[in-house]
Amino acid sequence: MAMSDAPAEPPDRCEIAVVGGGIAGLSTALFLARAGRDVVLLDKGSPWGDSSGANAGTLSLQVKRTEMFEMGSTSIGLWAAFGTEMGIDVGFHQPGGLRVAESDEQIAFLREYGAEQEAVGFEFEWLEGNQLHDLAPWLGPEVRAATFCAADGYASPLIAGPSLIAGARKAGVRVISNAEVTGARTAKGGYRLSIGRRSLECEYLAIAAGGHSTKIAASLGVRLPLWVDCNMLTVTEPAPRIMDKVVTHIGGIMSLKQHVNGTVLIGGGWQGRGKFSRQTREIDPLAWVQNVGLGARIAPDLKTLRVNRAWAGYEAVTIDALPLLGRLPGLENAYVAAGARGGFHMGPGQGLVLSQLILEGETGLDISRFDPARFPQ
Amino acid sequence: MNQADLAIVGAGPTGLSAALVAARAGLKVWVFDDNALPGGQYFRQLPKQFRKTRKTVYDKEHGRASELFTAIHHPNVTYLPNATVWENPDPGILAFAAGERSGRIEAKAILIACGASDRPVPFPGWTLPGVVTAGGLQNLVKGARVVPGERAVVAGNGPLLLVVAANLIRAGATVAAVAEAAPATARLWRNLPRLLQAPEIVKLAVNYRGLMAKAGVPYRCGETVIEARGTDELEEVVLAPIDTRGRLDRTKARTVACDTLVAGFGLNPSIEMYRLLGCDMSYNSYRGGWMPKRSDDLETSIPGIFAAGDGAGIGGVEFALIEGKLAGTVIARNLGALDERTAAIQAAPLRSRLERFRKFRVGLERVYAPPSTWTELATDDTIVCRCEDVSLGEIRAREAQGFTSAFAIKGSTRMSMGRCQGRNCLPTLAAHIAARDGIAVEQVAVPRGRPPARLVTIGDLLQEDLPAPVFPTDPHLPRGEEVI
Ligand SMILES: Cc1cc2nc3c(=O)[nH]c(=O)nc-3n(C[C@H](O)[C@H](O)[C@H](O)COP(=O)(O)OP(=O)(O)OC[C@H]3O[C@@H](n4cnc5c(N)ncnc54)[C@H](O)[C@@H]3O)c2cc1C
Ligand SMILES: Cc1cc2nc3c(=O)[nH]c(=O)nc-3n(C[C@H](O)[C@H](O)[C@H](O)COP(=O)(O)OP(=O)(O)OC[C@H]3O[C@@H](n4cnc5c(N)ncnc54)[C@H](O)[C@@H]3O)c2cc1C
Repeated sequence: MAMSDAPAEPPDRCEIAVVGGGIAGLSTALFLARAGRDVVLLDKGSPWGDSSGANAGTLSLQVKRTEMFEMGSTSIGLWAAFGTEMGIDVGFHQPGGLRVAESDEQIAFLREYGAEQEAVGFEFEWLEGNQLHDLAPWLGPEVRAATFCAADGYASPLIAGPSLIAGARKAGVRVISNAEVTGARTAKGGYRLSIGRRSLECEYLAIAAGGHSTKIAASLGVRLPLWVDCNMLTVTEPAPRIMDKVVTHIGGIMSLKQHVNGTVLIGGGWQGRGKFSRQTREIDPLAWVQNVGLGARIAPDLKTLRVNRAWAGYEAVTIDALPLLGRLPGLENAYVAAGARGGFHMGPGQGLVLSQLILEGETGLDISRFDPARFPQ
Repeated sequence: MNQADLAIVGAGPTGLSAALVAARAGLKVWVFDDNALPGGQYFRQLPKQFRKTRKTVYDKEHGRASELFTAIHHPNVTYLPNATVWENPDPGILAFAAGERSGRIEAKAILIACGASDRPVPFPGWTLPGVVTAGGLQNLVKGARVVPGERAVVAGNGPLLLVVAANLIRAGATVAAVAEAAPATARLWRNLPRLLQAPEIVKLAVNYRGLMAKAGVPYRCGETVIEARGTDELEEVVLAPIDTRGRLDRTKARTVACDTLVAGFGLNPSIEMYRLLGCDMSYNSYRGGWMPKRSDDLETSIPGIFAAGDGAGIGGVEFALIEGKLAGTVIARNLGALDERTAAIQAAPLRSRLERFRKFRVGLERVYAPPSTWTELATDDTIVCRCEDVSLGEIRAREAQGFTSAFAIKGSTRMSMGRCQGRNCLPTLAAHIAARDGIAVEQVAVPRGRPPARLVTIGDLLQEDLPAPVFPTDPHLPRGEEVI
């Protein structure tokens, strides 16, 4: 969902330019401005108008790869802190999450995978049979086992978007809509960004433009390989409470949650029909019914609900499913955050990293695996 | 998959008349409608559980209705009641939710005959119990034989107000006032020649006015409702004069006590199917806003997809019946069930009748041209999105924060995300933005419709036999295309 489009022209210069008003860019800009720095955030359309405004809001730690444990936990902490420490309501809730398994094979995989995760610090509880169905009586009979992760939760993209934009502005970020960065090059002591016919000079550059980051980096001679999925998402009409946890599926792509207002969100990354290169994104009506059907198998009460609307959006990811996070290879004071699987969840953590790199030149988090230089240039 | 020559969405006057013509010509026709009984709005029937003890004026259309309803029993017609068409998954295919019969159908031609819905105009108090829309009142009268109160005010814009007033009078209610916003009477004479192209409808209107006169019902043109008041339910309405340029004179407002307000500001075509199909659209404020572009054969910009009746631009029941027949004829010809000559002979009287009604419609539109876009009626407290309870004040607060486009207002207030899928509030939002920015309503970019076309029950969707889902081997890895 696109947000905020107060007409404003980009300035000629600033200290730090952040390109992209999704969760990664807004977090970066917000943390920098709170530290007293001069930040301009540029978005080609309206901030929150791409992936971050179209996503499911799931913050599930236990579905993440082991390499993402630290980033995932840090991010959940920040999602909580937006409301409690920064006065920015992002619709954060932490009811805990169930990662369910149906078949013997899936149960075995859940155990195996869970053991690997536990080894690096993930914490969850193993549940099966009656124990599981007592905790979550709304699960269907085909769900036989699950891990319960108390850290799992969700944020509401609809609430978070306007709040973060308003919060960033309040902290001093100049948020500029309809300012597409069409190219960047090095200039004395920093970078010069082309924004249509205008240009902006900055000392520091942070690229957080989702799948479009590739093109911006290319103008600086840097290769950032990204792929873009076209995920579908479905929302039902409001209903009395039928589930009280976030649900994911070990077999792959599923996410379920019921919002405070009673609507249920069914997603998980089922592919719609769309091409990022052509900027098309539509529902695939066959996969869509399968997606909704899997949801209804996990939580059969869903069968009585009516679907209100469904849509598809983009999720940019790398080929090794780890983010491109850190300094652009070969350049000083230019950074990127893009391509994390579950990039909504990871957005605040990535913003923290970029802000620390810009403020202090280093970050306390281990980002060695995410180095954008890991792919051949 | 189910196969048909022609799939028709909507079993109102349009859909049924098209089905009858096409089926008689030999086409295999499927008709889908999300109501339990055929008839659409105009021929809405009493539920089967009701028993009629005597015939009333509402049965005057019995003849035309029963002729039309034979369509659903025609051997070439498969009629699915309680069936919602929700998506056009692939060219020539419709997906429908209909309980155990849910599925998909492949058709050589598709007719969208989805009708219209009431155009909501928010004004202070419009959400009070006791305030109903004109279409809503007609539904109560036709579908349940009830009127909601004893003392009613009818206000708004357009000829349906006369029908409503007449029905209230016949049902024994007191009609305290009828307020037509357009200076209709003044414009009547100038447009009489056009109106007389359809003398049968003019006669109806004269009858309604006669009925009103006999019952002593005051009918004022150039007056609009500006507020509905009451503590828990409607107690009185405030009416104020409005001049030909749409300027309200609140100083000359009067209040009228009543327990029912029928507010009718016209109808909007149901356009969700065209949006899903991707038909080219055009805008005509007199005919209800957005509608599909069509050829003389009622074909949309997509070959094989036809649009007729109120869903293709408001024209009323007579239009709907002719357009339905014409669509059925043209489609039968295109699919080879009627030869060119027979089709031309069959279509000729329809086309000339249509021509006559088009002239009539222009006259009617000039008489009733709304003097205002109605955006100034709402105040900060007025709810503008009923599903999500969003007030105009909330929108203004968001605008002050920089959330000014329809997309940003939607995203920051939840406006249009509720059960009506934006049908009721997006036109309001577009009008608000147009007035704010001084641009035409059709220039306002609004969020596009998303599937499903109408709400569908998940259990219904799962009745279909679908291949078991295949999970990705590693859900973390990309599934889409590389950025180049
Ligand atoms: C349907 C769906 C469901 C999802 N569910 C989840 C989920 O449950 N949990 C989760 O963690 N993740 C989920 N994701 C993924 C998640 O949405 C993304 O990973 C995340 O939002 C990426 O955030 P971002 O800030 O990197 O990019 P974006 O939100 O895409 O922001 C990038 C911004 O950059 C702007 N921009 C692009 N190019 C330029 C340019 N040249 N100049 C200026 N600005 C530019 C864009 O306009 C955009 O606003 C889902 C994705 C989809 C589509
Ligand atoms: C509430 C209301 C009441 C009205 N009452 C009167 C009246 O009393 N007198 C009068 O002259 N005019 C009335 N009208 C005007 C009416 O639009 C026309 O007179 C006439 O009924 C139009 O015929 P139609 O076949 O084009 O559309 P309709 O009669 O509206 O028929 C369309 C049908 O399609 C169905 N439909 C729509 N979308 C789908 C879908 N996706 N899947 C399945 N089914 C679908 C609808 O439920 C409806 O049954 C009313 C309009 C409304 C909105």
